[in-house]
Amino acid sequence: MIMQTHPLIKPLPRQSRQHHGVEIEGLSLSLADKAILQDISLRLPDAGITTVIGPSGAGKSSLLRCLNGLHQQWQGEILLQRRDVRHWPGGGDLLRRHVGLIGQKPCVFPHSIRANVVFGIQGRRKRRKADGIVETVLKQAALWDEVKHRLHEPAESLSLGQQQRLCIARALAIRPGLILLDEPTASLDPRSKQLIEQSIRQLAGTMPVVCVTHDLEQARRLGGGVIFMCEGRVIEEAACESFFTQPQRLESREFLRWTVCDCD
Amino acid sequence: MLRLWLTGSAFVSGMTILVVLGFLIQASWPLLQSQGLAFVTESEWYPYEQLYGLAPVLVGSFWSILLALLLALPTGLAAAILAAELCGGRGRSIVRFGMELMAGIPSVVYGLLGLWLLLPLLESRLNLLTGRSLLAAGLLLAVMILPTLMVFSEEAIRTVSREQREMALNLGLNWPVRLWRVVLPQAWSGIRVAILLALGRAMGETVAVMLVVGSLDRLPEPFYNLLQPAQTLTSRIGREMAEAAVGSVHWAALIMCGLVLALVAMAISLLAQRGQRP
Amino acid sequence: MTNTRIAMVLVVLLALPALLLPAMSLAYIAYKGIPAFSWDFIFGTDPGSGFGVAGGVFAQLLGSLLLALGAVLVAVPFALGTALYYHLLASAVQRHVLMALMNMLQGIPPIVFGLCGLIVFVHLLHWGVSLASGALILAAVILPMLVLNSITALEQIPFEDTEAARSLGLSHASVIARVWLPRAWPGMLTGLLLGMARALSETAPILFTATVFSGVVWPDSIFAPVTSLQTHIFYLSQEGSDPAAIQAAWGSAVVLIMVVAVFALLARALSRHTNRQSGVLSEGADS
Repeated sequence: MIMQTHPLIKPLPRQSRQHHGVEIEGLSLSLADKAILQDISLRLPDAGITTVIGPSGAGKSSLLRCLNGLHQQWQGEILLQRRDVRHWPGGGDLLRRHVGLIGQKPCVFPHSIRANVVFGIQGRRKRRKADGIVETVLKQAALWDEVKHRLHEPAESLSLGQQQRLCIARALAIRPGLILLDEPTASLDPRSKQLIEQSIRQLAGTMPVVCVTHDLEQARRLGGGVIFMCEGRVIEEAACESFFTQPQRLESREFLRWTVCDCD
Repeated sequence: MLRLWLTGSAFVSGMTILVVLGFLIQASWPLLQSQGLAFVTESEWYPYEQLYGLAPVLVGSFWSILLALLLALPTGLAAAILAAELCGGRGRSIVRFGMELMAGIPSVVYGLLGLWLLLPLLESRLNLLTGRSLLAAGLLLAVMILPTLMVFSEEAIRTVSREQREMALNLGLNWPVRLWRVVLPQAWSGIRVAILLALGRAMGETVAVMLVVGSLDRLPEPFYNLLQPAQTLTSRIGREMAEAAVGSVHWAALIMCGLVLALVAMAISLLAQRGQRP
Repeated sequence: MTNTRIAMVLVVLLALPALLLPAMSLAYIAYKGIPAFSWDFIFGTDPGSGFGVAGGVFAQLLGSLLLALGAVLVAVPFALGTALYYHLLASAVQRHVLMALMNMLQGIPPIVFGLCGLIVFVHLLHWGVSLASGALILAAVILPMLVLNSITALEQIPFEDTEAARSLGLSHASVIARVWLPRAWPGMLTGLLLGMARALSETAPILFTATVFSGVVWPDSIFAPVTSLQTHIFYLSQEGSDPAAIQAAWGSAVVLIMVVAVFALLARALSRHTNRQSGVLSEGADS
């Protein structure tokens, strides 16, 4: 069954100034002979939240990893702030410094909290003098108040929710231009969820933030744009409220009602 | 009946080390009786004149082991990094196989190689009268401890979790930085164990060292001269085991060398075991 | 990008000696040793002239095998018993102590065992330089290895199997015989083979406690001395003035390596086979 593209998700013309944060054109990815992503085209604004939702196996995480450079076998075109990801000046490492990725499971290095935050900063002297950055990013990640008196304690002594916020701070310390979050609050307590969502909203004021989530309520709370994916394709792309109140596609409606999504 | 076998076996196994130590202590007692602890710093070993200096062999063992570690560590560690990080599964298997092969070569064959390949090489390249020296012993020991170092270091590097590496990758750190700041620091405890095990092996090696070290009980002059024939703890025991009259003080002095060897080796082993626990 | 390249090149260059030495050493040994091969060399027992220099090494081969076999025969019952004690009867403290003792024993250089064996077996018990002395000394050398190996082999047995057998009321002996040994025997056999390989490689402890240079083909009794490949190589290698002796030394070295390799490869094949059977991957698969 060939999907009909609804007028609502027709890509905006390139000349528009508002949507240069992330431009994806015809992105396809196959791993081990299995099609993970199929012909994805998206435009995301320079600043603001976009949540990506959809059933398991829809390719949401893979999409993030293509933006990051962790997957490299994709076809198509990806532009971040108008720069081609494939020809990123400085190569893959600088690309990954520009794109911050926070995963589902918080993973901290076996060092102190402060050392973790500055870990991405290259150069020992710079790291030593980074106290200002440490405070800034920990505040942005809503963790400063909890750890400001114990920056030199091991990061492993933090709770899971605190560790995840630490990961966010760590990613922010290298001044990325784009933040990707892959189900960041999936295994966390409600308070951490709330704090992280707060941070995300704050960050979205200055840069594009893409957040993959399973939690539809969270997607609603975060606001911004919503992308609904299923089986490697973008089914619908809409503003948050209109997606949840007036889903245009059949598959979206079925998904929101928690029935099995029959897209192919 | 079963209990008897099990308990008895465990008892025997456990007691072996105490029995060994006991006999060593008992047999070396005459030396302490006749000389007290003077022999430790005594620099002459001349049994015919009651001189049982331990100093030459302590220095000899020290230099040969140090040299072996200094030579083997960089290249062994590099090989471990290569196998763990840069090779595919196939390459890693080949490297490991090669190392296991080397580990299986009996030490007397290494001695043969040392005697008839290494010594002539040293004599011609360094213009020496004889290649028998601490240098030769150190070189040979380095080759012999490479497999141990490499295999255990490689394991230590491989056990650093994928997540840690991916975290560092996501922060835009390139391979050398990841290796230096994430992988090696976390593999360090395992690498330390590898070094201790290699140290123990180098320390206890007898036959290969016996054949190339020169068996001359004399302090190197100057103290850092590695190009002269010398003696290590193990080579002295090996060479004079058959000659010492049983029960004499000479005999006791040799046993004392064995005791020192055993005690240091046990200490190293305990340290290595403690390093392996976490 | 270039930083990474430089680092990789550096690592490869540093690693080259470690990678090339195994191949080069083996190649050299083969190159030197294989010319000495002939039927007479391997199977001849005629000592030939000059104290066994120009003769066959069959006697030595036999001696090495007898010593190793003796060591294994003595060590295995103790190792097995100790491992079973560890898993069956030992308290937590005893386990801890036993492990520590075994690790300490493992660290002791073989020459020390030789020395102690010299005191105890050769002189105290008046066994003299003999097969028995050598076998017992070598048994002590390989004991810790066998114990630790058996303990690990028994550890692989799932706890549920033991529990199931216990709840059926089986006695200790039955549990061992019907649940543990059938599952663990490949691992233990692997350890045994490795023990043989190890015992065949040791030279220092048997040098003055079990072997003589020549004159023996088949020992009169276990209290008689033997000759061995390892010590044969040792003696021959020092006959600097006789090129035939050196040649024989290289040839013996090749024979020794081959014999050790047989046991080591058997052990490896066995452990691969058992790992495959129980579904354990020997190389961690990257997902």
